[in-house]
Amino acid sequence: MDTVLSGAAIALYVVLLAFVAIRARAAREFEEFSVAKRELPLALIFGSIAADYIGPGFSIGFVGRGFKSGFLFLAVGLAYAVQNIFVGLLVAPKLRQLKNCYTLGDAIGQKYDRKCQILAGVISVALCTSFSAVMISAGSVVLNDIFGLPRWLSVSVVAVVTASYTTFGGLRASVITDAFHFVLFALLLPVTLLYALLFHFQGGAASFFQQAFAATAEGFSSTPTIQIIGFVAAFLLGETLIPPYANLALASKTTKVSRNGFILAGIFSTLWFTVMIAIGIIARTVVAKDTKQDYVLLSFTGSIMPHAGYALLLVALVSIVLSSLDSLLNAGAVVFTQDIIRRFSKLPDALALKAGRYSTIIIAGVAAAAAVFVPSVIEGLLVCYSIWAPAILPALILGLWLKAPRPLAGILSMGVGTCVAVIFQFVLPTLIKVPAIIPALGSALLAYALGHWLGKPDSGRAGV
Amino acid sequence: MGVLLLVLIVISALAVIASGAWVAVALIHAICPPRGSPPARGSAPDAQDPSDDKSAGRVADKSGD
Repeated sequence: MDTVLSGAAIALYVVLLAFVAIRARAAREFEEFSVAKRELPLALIFGSIAADYIGPGFSIGFVGRGFKSGFLFLAVGLAYAVQNIFVGLLVAPKLRQLKNCYTLGDAIGQKYDRKCQILAGVISVALCTSFSAVMISAGSVVLNDIFGLPRWLSVSVVAVVTASYTTFGGLRASVITDAFHFVLFALLLPVTLLYALLFHFQGGAASFFQQAFAATAEGFSSTPTIQIIGFVAAFLLGETLIPPYANLALASKTTKVSRNGFILAGIFSTLWFTVMIAIGIIARTVVAKDTKQDYVLLSFTGSIMPHAGYALLLVALVSIVLSSLDSLLNAGAVVFTQDIIRRFSKLPDALALKAGRYSTIIIAGVAAAAAVFVPSVIEGLLVCYSIWAPAILPALILGLWLKAPRPLAGILSMGVGTCVAVIFQFVLPTLIKVPAIIPALGSALLAYALGHWLGKPDSGRAGV
Repeated sequence: MGVLLLVLIVISALAVIASGAWVAVALIHAICPPRGSPPARGSAPDAQDPSDDKSAGRVADKSGD
């Protein structure tokens, strides 16, 4: 009976997803594939940003954190809200103002030079592929839990389903399906919380406060201060303007939509974290204390929800993964086409669209192959965060704000930031106790200052 | 204190649900536009705020210097 209900819920979800993806229609030109003709309204931009950042870490992960450490992670999560609001106020409108800009690499190319654009493109494609591998791995775990499929098959299903609609529909299909996924989990998970509060939580407000206080105290006593600082740094900078978010900033209808989309998404993240952590705290009275963090949400909902509700929640978890994955695949493909292929050959629009489609399939294939080697979702995400922020952010943000940015500063900052992050993350992970993102970001800023001091502005800079 | 905390949590949950409903309405408009509304594709590709023109000009000036 359980399997039938789960199967019915999944089948209904697939039918609805197919309907939404077909209605989104295929992209006919590269501008539509890459930036949805820059005509997306506020609600879709907001829904897509939120659907992108709410991955397994911000749902399953946060419930587990609430279970073990109460509201500690709400405080850490505030850094994420602050980051989104700052991006909305200071960066997204500036990006949207640039003409003929399809990617972050384009922005960097317009501010520095062609070499900087290619380097930014290579880093962006590598990061999008790595993030995609982590998402495919997470999706395969959920499918494995539902159907007991072997790993290779669940990885293939996640990669093929997502790549199929992203390949044809481009950014518009990605944003529309993101909105569909967002609606699903923005309704189902808070309803789960309210259902648990109404029917399965005994002891009332006093008991809830007691559980929350005990969990938060445990969290603070078991987490070293340096680790909390590392988490705050990762939440503040790690995902800032990764290619899918940058594409949304560029695809907004106006600069105002671009700014408000990020600000609303920042405010929404605080509400979302509160709901996830509250589910984790309530789960303390239902789920065994030694339950692993990543299994708290599934164990909790499996214990309290009727079978149909549980099946729907599993669907919501699948949609959480797919909504993050489709944007990453599209962003990776657009960056590969615009920042790498188009820097070496003048592709007409029709060929660029074709190149974007083939790139989507190739990135999905490489990410699916790499997904088998991802150790864990959170570890995978933290590795990506540690590299992205130092590699790109100093060059991008300073380039947008400085009057005459020097190409040497851009190249040095991206090169040094990437190398130092990789060294501290993979080669010498135990050399220092602070997370890799901190020394890497410091080195990138120093390298930028050095390059700005030694370099000259690009005399031929007139937009790419 | 406990009651206040619970009230805040319930308000957060309702706000998340309201956001979902808002995006649902926009999604329905995007995939099934109401009759008589302008087509979603091909309309004013570079539509921007009035402020955009000013700032776009600034960027163009700057990149040309």
